[in-house]
Amino acid sequence: MRPDSQVMQLERLGSFHQSRLSFMRTLVRRMVTENWQITSPVFDLDDQGYGTVVYQVEARFGTFSYVLFSHYLDPDSRNDRVIANQWDLTMALCEGKVDADQLAFLRTNVPKQEAGRVDSRVLVLSRANRSGRTFEYVVSELAEGRQPCIDVIAEVGYLYRTTAAYGSGKLGMADWEKVRTKHPDFARPFAAEMFTCFMLRHFSMQQADHLASRRAPGKAVILDKDIKRYLGIGNSTGLGMAPFLINHPLLISQWIEMRETALARVILASESGVDEPIFFRLAASVQRVIQHLGEIVTADERQHNSNILVRKELQVLLAWMHDDGLRLLRDHYVWANLVQYVEQFCHIETQELINTLLIELYPELVDDLEEQMGIDESIRITPEMPVTELLQIIEDKYDWALIIDFTQYESIGAFWYRSQEKMEPRLGQTNIDMGMEKEMPMAIGRRVRKCYDQASAYNLTYPQQNVAHFIMRHPNRSGIVGRIQTLAQRLYGDIRENLVHSNVLPIHLLRCKLSFFGVSKFDPRSRLWVRNTMFQGAPLISDFGKPFVDDWQFPIKPVLTSG
Amino acid sequence: MKVSKNELMASLKKAFEGLGFHPGDYYDAADMVVWLETHGLDGFDRLQAALAYLNTTGPTHAELIEEGTNYLFLDGNDSSILLCGSEAIDLLSAQIMEGSAARLQLNNCYNRTFILQRLVKAAQRNLAFIAYWRQDDCCIKVSIAAGADLPEHQTFSMAEDIDPQSLTVFAGTDLVVVEQQFSEQIVIGELIETYSSAGMSICYQDSVEQGIEIDEVLWSTLEGLVERILVESTESSRAGAGD
Repeated sequence: MRPDSQVMQLERLGSFHQSRLSFMRTLVRRMVTENWQITSPVFDLDDQGYGTVVYQVEARFGTFSYVLFSHYLDPDSRNDRVIANQWDLTMALCEGKVDADQLAFLRTNVPKQEAGRVDSRVLVLSRANRSGRTFEYVVSELAEGRQPCIDVIAEVGYLYRTTAAYGSGKLGMADWEKVRTKHPDFARPFAAEMFTCFMLRHFSMQQADHLASRRAPGKAVILDKDIKRYLGIGNSTGLGMAPFLINHPLLISQWIEMRETALARVILASESGVDEPIFFRLAASVQRVIQHLGEIVTADERQHNSNILVRKELQVLLAWMHDDGLRLLRDHYVWANLVQYVEQFCHIETQELINTLLIELYPELVDDLEEQMGIDESIRITPEMPVTELLQIIEDKYDWALIIDFTQYESIGAFWYRSQEKMEPRLGQTNIDMGMEKEMPMAIGRRVRKCYDQASAYNLTYPQQNVAHFIMRHPNRSGIVGRIQTLAQRLYGDIRENLVHSNVLPIHLLRCKLSFFGVSKFDPRSRLWVRNTMFQGAPLISDFGKPFVDDWQFPIKPVLTSG
Repeated sequence: MKVSKNELMASLKKAFEGLGFHPGDYYDAADMVVWLETHGLDGFDRLQAALAYLNTTGPTHAELIEEGTNYLFLDGNDSSILLCGSEAIDLLSAQIMEGSAARLQLNNCYNRTFILQRLVKAAQRNLAFIAYWRQDDCCIKVSIAAGADLPEHQTFSMAEDIDPQSLTVFAGTDLVVVEQQFSEQIVIGELIETYSSAGMSICYQDSVEQGIEIDEVLWSTLEGLVERILVESTESSRAGAGD
């Protein structure tokens, strides 16, 4: 397993890509292989595509309803930020079947999103906006009897963008504990939220077909299935996601440990070399990723340059594989050698891409880990621990924090706070922006440093004492002490970065979490938010129950069979 | 109105933060309130009583006055268990880890029923506890076996005059031994009522399935406290969200 000093660097976490363990991938595997049945008992859309749709979902263990309201939205009101209060679509995933009374209740509350209230029969609440660049274009083309140009689709990748998918008990919804214990179909982290986005994708294409057929009956064509598979759902993710990674350190640590376990198993599998077919699969994957990265359109210079560099490095790697690869197949731990080579000579994004591709090669070694992505998130103090031991742990696990000079302005040049606008997390500049006194406790490094200094001084005065006595004297340190002690028992602990440095890049936090969700095509819009696509390339509902090769990651433009 | 457990936790954490609690303290305090309410022990009523006090003072913690090999004496400084309960039980737990049995006396503290959640959490480390305190004209005894998930809550008549704002906790690794120690040192009256762990479990399951009923006035009080940690939104602050 790679050490936490390497893995938990923020830049590396921000270079992660989706893998077989990502939540979209595991959800799709489950839906397809278990052949979930999805029907639409209510499909009540008018000629403009506005109205109500209820999908009934027969999963393996239970029945669910996906309720969707499509509304007129003034284009001037279309806003992807969390502070928006109107959307093109609003949706709810509910347990069981929805009757008329519940539908009326949902119709009153779901379109309001945060301003409404739902109940514990609802698992997820979400909303989405149309893409200004593709939706109308696709509908017009279909109405004209033509398939849309794939290049236009490729530039965007979706018809709708989701701007939030709330679960875990927000706004009166079912708690994660209820979902986890009562609904095995969604008992993995974020499975219900990902399903909500998958169903949005399905609806977006159904609605486009519906609108085209209403506009031009007899002339309109249905969207080509290969194009449908290539369409995903857009997503905008901003700072709101960042505190999650700091507030759920055990969960994040578990996700990373499972990913690293997968990588370690794969490397171990190459102990006596690897077979040719596996090697050729890796080469084909590299080729595909090169094309995938070449098709990403982003205005962000840093991401653009990174994509170019990674492609170049992958091309070199591919050439090497063709020239020398077969000769090295029988090498002892060939994958370890590959990983080492890439770590030495390639960009960090290329390194993590190769890791992802290696994990992809061995489903039989990796896929069982998907059941271990959840964890008890209790932070526990070990009160009997000697203070000297606590200090030793800090020196071992938080060496990165102890070397930061917090007297320098840059080291404390930023602070995180919650805005009055929907409690949106924001990043302020120290001594410039208002709200420093209401700072969120995101500065883990600084808190550890203060704790270390106090514990060191305490230990000098009371050398034999334990943590319970230290906390009795310094009760304000109980939170950070519990965190340090709990995470010290994990292979991967806190993210090793000063999150209040002037130049902090929160986008790495977002991307780390999004990689575990399984998104692709990262398109940063600033250092604070990123656009991406979900489920692009994934099977359609009509593919459920059919033979399935789980290789839809890194989507590339389809070559249309229909011409 | 009904709220979920997660939603309630999130709101309480921020509300306690608004009251000046530090990280760690506000997690623990929120845990204590949610635990009592979801297990049928009137967490919200007790929270309202606590808020009346917490809203007028800064966060105060307990102080270790005296410590022996098997006893601890703390002054709560008129604080709430929401603030001083964790450190007291941690101190007691540490002492048992280093010995075999111990007794803790915490004087001048309020909202003592909240201690249940701390005992439940500490019991997960294979420690057993009996907590005892006066509640109006009765006495409350709470027992939890080592490793158990839920305690038993009993109400007794008062057999001897005890300090109205004190809390006594006996602890060890075996509840039978702790019970013996308790009986030797405390005279209890007639048993009036038992609230069993089975009753608590039913109540908890219902909370998870149906959500938690909360008075809208209390919810709005919590929202008011949460407001204290929010920063006014301005054009320049929107830039700090990516605009």
